[in-house]
Amino acid sequence: MNHKILQKKNGTAGPESGRPFSRKGESEVFWNRRRKTLFVLGAAVTYLTVVLLAGLFLSPECYEIDYSAKFTAPCLKHPFGTDYMGRDMFFRSVKGLSNSIGVGILASAVSSVIALILGVAAALTGGAVDRFVNWCVDLCMGIPHLILLILLSFMMGKGQKGVLFAVALTHWPELTRLVRAEVLQVRSARYVQASYRMGKTRLQIAREHMLPQVLPVYLIGVVLLFPHAIMHEAAITFLGFGFPAEVPAIGVILSESMNYITTGKWWMAVFPGLMLLAAVMLFDAAGENLKRLLNPNSGNEA
Amino acid sequence: MRREKTDIRRKRMAWRLWNIWNGKKKRALVLSIAALALCSMVTGCGAKEESSDSIVCYVGHGFWDGSLDPVKGGFAYGYDFISNGLVRVNAQSEYEGDLAESWEISEDALTYTYKLKQGIRFQDGSDFTAKDVVFTYETVMANQGQNEKVDLSKLEKAEALDEYTVQFTLKEHFSPFLDTTAQLGIVPSGGYDSAAFDQKPVGTGPWKVVQYDMEQQLIVEANEDYFEGKPEIKRVTFVDMDNEAAFSNARSGQLDVVMVQPSYAAETIKGMHMEKLETMDVRNISLPCRKPGKIQNSAGEEISVGNPVTSDLAVRKALSLGIDRQEVIENAFNGVGRPAEGWTDNLIWGNTKEYQDAQTEEAKKILEEGGWKDKDGDGIREKGKIPCAFEVYAPSDEPDRYLLAAAAEENVKKLGISIEVKQTTWDEIAVKSYTQGAVWGFGQYSPMVLDNQFQSGHFAEQTYSNPSGYQNETVDSLIGEAIAANSQEDAVAAWKEIQDVYAEDYPYLYLVNIEHCYFISDRLDISKDTQIPHPHGHGIPIICNMKDWKIKE
Repeated sequence: MNHKILQKKNGTAGPESGRPFSRKGESEVFWNRRRKTLFVLGAAVTYLTVVLLAGLFLSPECYEIDYSAKFTAPCLKHPFGTDYMGRDMFFRSVKGLSNSIGVGILASAVSSVIALILGVAAALTGGAVDRFVNWCVDLCMGIPHLILLILLSFMMGKGQKGVLFAVALTHWPELTRLVRAEVLQVRSARYVQASYRMGKTRLQIAREHMLPQVLPVYLIGVVLLFPHAIMHEAAITFLGFGFPAEVPAIGVILSESMNYITTGKWWMAVFPGLMLLAAVMLFDAAGENLKRLLNPNSGNEA
Repeated sequence: MRREKTDIRRKRMAWRLWNIWNGKKKRALVLSIAALALCSMVTGCGAKEESSDSIVCYVGHGFWDGSLDPVKGGFAYGYDFISNGLVRVNAQSEYEGDLAESWEISEDALTYTYKLKQGIRFQDGSDFTAKDVVFTYETVMANQGQNEKVDLSKLEKAEALDEYTVQFTLKEHFSPFLDTTAQLGIVPSGGYDSAAFDQKPVGTGPWKVVQYDMEQQLIVEANEDYFEGKPEIKRVTFVDMDNEAAFSNARSGQLDVVMVQPSYAAETIKGMHMEKLETMDVRNISLPCRKPGKIQNSAGEEISVGNPVTSDLAVRKALSLGIDRQEVIENAFNGVGRPAEGWTDNLIWGNTKEYQDAQTEEAKKILEEGGWKDKDGDGIREKGKIPCAFEVYAPSDEPDRYLLAAAAEENVKKLGISIEVKQTTWDEIAVKSYTQGAVWGFGQYSPMVLDNQFQSGHFAEQTYSNPSGYQNETVDSLIGEAIAANSQEDAVAAWKEIQDVYAEDYPYLYLVNIEHCYFISDRLDISKDTQIPHPHGHGIPIICNMKDWKIKE
């Protein structure tokens, strides 16, 4: 009975068609993890690149003030509606997200370089350096992240500079731990020990044996760091310690929309929020999939 | 042995409790707790149940965030609430006796003699006499550091001539002293307790404090013995929350009065109506008048001052004449507020020479003649290499000022002047205003605001004073004259002349005389006839005549 239904559903597929597998089986094969991963990764990268580039090259005229169109609900002309100055929310959101992504890229880049240097140095030199790096990591992780962000941003005078510094300088501890653990593991491997005996310098070993082993973990770490950075940028901007109000940033847009949400202007919060959510989730999914793809140990986890 | 016994007793007690919890009594317990909770909920809401003699109000966020003690600057607004001053301002902006029956100013304007009303009692039952007035003024003089609202530094001494006569002697001429005596509420000399008065001050006013939770709520009750007759409403609760939260609360019917920003004025709330009340509060943009350079203030700090664009009179004049104020108000405030080109005429010293604005062509001509021409066709004029552009700063905690500045920016684009609006903290505004524009709000009965804004000596010396860096010897000497005037008439004449003199220099771009917007419950009558024009104060001045409010049947 069940079999028949299956046959019907799958149309031509069946034993008589001469193929050993049903369509369903084939589609299962088509959407294997590798393809799915690549697809999600592709989607994430496309979404972010498009938004980033669109934001960079967007003419400010697109989200110009137009008082005659104040508080327009979403329509064909303004798919995301307009705000209290009649600015188009779609283009403002794109520009805002683009700013956030820019901060995210910078933060991941800076944080990952810091993490790589500290992690490798700690694991290879050991001793005092190792203790110092661990101490720094514990110190930074001991303070609630948002508080640390606010402190740093405030110290740097808030605004654009503040948010850049804060987000870039607070995302390295987790990754440092990861890199250090990985390097420690590789260091004790037989072939590495053998290389030492053969008289290779530490730098050579680090480059030839460590990096290729650590790189996958590191890359995944960087990708997974990215959504955090974007969220944190939006969060401290929302709280008023990040981008100033005249810069279109997602955090600014969301905090402004809070002023009007009680009067029923839902579109000012919903669409920019969704765009941010999409960016963060896509990147998170991409990172998770990449982890399965690149890190052989996690292959059997799911 | 003894110890064992208590141990057993303890165990037995625990066992009994356990039985109660598990046994039949459990249900009773749960029920009684539920009933209790329900009760408290009902009474909790009951505070605003359509009771005929109490109301709940929201008059602005974070307003009562400090001491309520008049000695420390609490309620220094010049209208009656918990305490009364010697004089007060009436609906026609004139001074009238409050605790004082009458007053006299000596020929040399150095002594002020107040005859006090008799038979007035404080809320604690003690009699009000000259002794209390002297006590209040002397306490403030001795603790001037705690009170930044009422400045008694010009006062030499206060003395009681008899039980109902007080004489103030000034160190030097100070014609606005009358206003000072309107700001300071009188506290009882016998019952004054500095610590207790922070939370529960005692005065002669129409309202008694029942409970004050800083930044949460203030509950006041009618003073049955108030010397002008007891208020009709028995109990008023002021709640402190965000503007948006207050609006939602009003929507769900929990507030009788709610202050809203002008951007909410077009909304409707069932059972409430919108009232826009007259104020003397104006918003302007300071335009730095000095040429770029560095100056040293008395503290020895070197400060960069001046702006190459706004220091040109042509630019300042073109802005004032060319901007369309009505359009700016429509765009920024939904049309709430009145165009203003100077101080409002509901002030006795207000003297604004009104002129036609939105004169685009005239403004362009002034700019052309001043040498500002758009040579590269980018829509912004230049003079030499300097583009006709400057920044305007708005405080980030006041979205309305940002909206106003942004609307002004849009409006002057057509003149070829570019304004870049930025939001930042007050601390940064204090520094930025030396070289760039900033949005300011002013509205008070005392003409000392003219001294604050136009006296050249204040620039870069007192924070937020004379942000334009205006410098005019005639104005400086007229301010001195007005302060030293022997009579109110002479002082007012001098204050008025000052405004004529600086009018030609346009040191500030005046934009709007704002109106305070409130949703008022339909059952409440806020006695609009006795409302005074509201001074600066983000909505709180609506309570100036709360003793006259009525609940309609």
